[in-house]
Amino acid sequence: MYQYTEFDRSFIEERVNHYREQTTRYLDGKLSEDEFLQLRLRNGLYLQRLAPMLRVAIPYGTLSSNQLFALGKVAREYDRGYGHLSTRQNMQFNWPELAEVPDILADMAKVDLHAIQTSGSCIRNVTTDHFAGAAADETIDPRPYCEIIRQWSTAHPEFEWLPRKFKIAVTGAAEDRAAIGVHDVGLRVYRDAQGQVQFDVFAGGGLGRTPVLGALVRSELPIEHLLTYLEALMRVYNRYGRRDNKYKARIKILVRAMGVDGFRAKVDEEWVHSKGGPGTLPETEISRVEAFFAPPNYSEQPDVSDTLAEQRLAKPKFSQWLQHNVIEHQAPGYAAVTLSTKATGVPPGDVSDTQIDAVAQWAADYSFSEVRISHEQNFVLPHVPKQHLFELWKKAEAQNLATANARLITDMICCPGGDYCSLANAKSIPVAEALQERFDDYDFQYDLGELNLNISGCMNACGHHHVGHIGILGVDKKGSEFYQISLGGHAGHSELAPSLGQIVGPSIPRAEVCDVIAEILEIYVDLRLEDESFLSCFKRVGIAPFKERIYAPSH
Amino acid sequence: MHHLINKQNDAWQLADAQSADQQHAWCDAENWQPGQALKLSVDAELDPQWAQASIIGIDFPALTDGRGLSLAVLLRTRLNYSGDLRGLGAVHEDILHFMVRCGFSSFELPESRDPSVALNCITPHKQYYQSSVVDPLNHFDRV
Repeated sequence: MYQYTEFDRSFIEERVNHYREQTTRYLDGKLSEDEFLQLRLRNGLYLQRLAPMLRVAIPYGTLSSNQLFALGKVAREYDRGYGHLSTRQNMQFNWPELAEVPDILADMAKVDLHAIQTSGSCIRNVTTDHFAGAAADETIDPRPYCEIIRQWSTAHPEFEWLPRKFKIAVTGAAEDRAAIGVHDVGLRVYRDAQGQVQFDVFAGGGLGRTPVLGALVRSELPIEHLLTYLEALMRVYNRYGRRDNKYKARIKILVRAMGVDGFRAKVDEEWVHSKGGPGTLPETEISRVEAFFAPPNYSEQPDVSDTLAEQRLAKPKFSQWLQHNVIEHQAPGYAAVTLSTKATGVPPGDVSDTQIDAVAQWAADYSFSEVRISHEQNFVLPHVPKQHLFELWKKAEAQNLATANARLITDMICCPGGDYCSLANAKSIPVAEALQERFDDYDFQYDLGELNLNISGCMNACGHHHVGHIGILGVDKKGSEFYQISLGGHAGHSELAPSLGQIVGPSIPRAEVCDVIAEILEIYVDLRLEDESFLSCFKRVGIAPFKERIYAPSH
Repeated sequence: MHHLINKQNDAWQLADAQSADQQHAWCDAENWQPGQALKLSVDAELDPQWAQASIIGIDFPALTDGRGLSLAVLLRTRLNYSGDLRGLGAVHEDILHFMVRCGFSSFELPESRDPSVALNCITPHKQYYQSSVVDPLNHFDRV
């Protein structure tokens, strides 16, 4: 993974000092609430319903074991022994004292972590495939380009005060696990026939109130022009994006207003002037950054298929875990492992300091000291020798991190919702808990197969409900919490183009959510052909049969 | 009144309140003639003639409005405007370092702000990752 240079380190230290000085000015009454708001957001600090929340950037979801230990320490010393894995691969802490945040950031800086631009109307932490550098279906590891974008976007003088937040995601695999279609800018990276790194650039995707899939604005962009092109695109957005209404300020609205062709032409018009100028990436820089992401020193691994087969027979739960939470790796004898935080009774993405420490230790022991955070709010150990899988599983079981539900219905994505977030219209965690309890039975889940259920407590869609195979959105109806169900969304897949969920009908009170979801699942089971997944089935039959049965007059 | 911050001998300073540089008869884009002081709104579209302004000011409506930053970059790089470029309006001490790197060379800091704080936080970093109007080198060009 990327190793900080002296420059990176001094930059982060200067930033902490600057923020400390800003915090002091605020506490001394020299900055108003509104002024300080803009500064603290750009350093990761929100003031939530109950207490502040600090969002630490995990660039493209990759962490070292040491960094994760440091996050465990923050959870213990500044939070109440918890951390929360966010849907954008970051880690959040609730309850830090505003005055102590500079100290937390200074502690983070010691292990090369920061909270820069994790909030506010600026370019946010760039995200990617949590199996990057490990997945068998990968054509190119996207992380070097994520790091190049991270550096370029950090304290960019021109783009710190955009109309609205700006999220960039990069994927380099057949299956788009980074959901590039629902980002302000999505980048698909690949090699051309000559082996040159290129990008297809999508713009104007996003969830929120107006969910839209990004449109292709440039294909086959050579790597050396990546930053000048992004700069031209950002400039068009910064100048012409709406600032009069925050609900119409995202780039998707601008792209729609200008039309994709109009937007593309405007960016090209801008880019003509800067293409080839400062910001053009020299070959030396590209290879310098790529070298940090060279594969770890894999060793020759024994063939353990017989042992694994015996272990599977002896421990059915291990067998289930292998089936769902362990995926094929690029390197023979290795596997990538999902450590699910979605045990029944635990809010999705919440992890205790003990769990954080344990994962950090397993990363050191089994995965070349590397950990990932997935946008599904799980930990991933990317490079685990298969011979250690059983051992790792036993330890994960003991820490309640071995629930065999990766990509099944209980591996739900869920925002913090009305329990914590001041934007939320409705609670989301209790809904997730009720659903987890209801569908806890492994055989039932397994029979349903791959099924993403995503829950957001409001239209801001932090729980990505639009791209859940089943999406649940909390809405406020005359002061009561109601939930709107949508079906058939998904973020991107090799065979199926990304799509946004369709609303199944009028919203329902919380008490009915579990029953309606159960009914949807029954309808699916009735309608599916053999091994057809929920999503494929939905694509075939459409929303009508679901609507008819759920809202049949007998209800 | 406001505090005028500008550069003298390559160092940022608080200008003398009596300085002649305080007195400009600003014209908006519609009424401006070459040689006059030009005051632009952040949504102005470039006019090549502007390179002949005696001074250009960009009027920030709010500290969160970044359009003036892009406009400044365009004045410097597209029109090659080399005269004084002044931040006007909602100039805030914590935005100065972004403004400087987009090509601003002086600022009218509102009277309510403390100029010593502004001068103190105008250069929070020794170096940056990206090239800018004031520094053509990216960090990677220096490695």
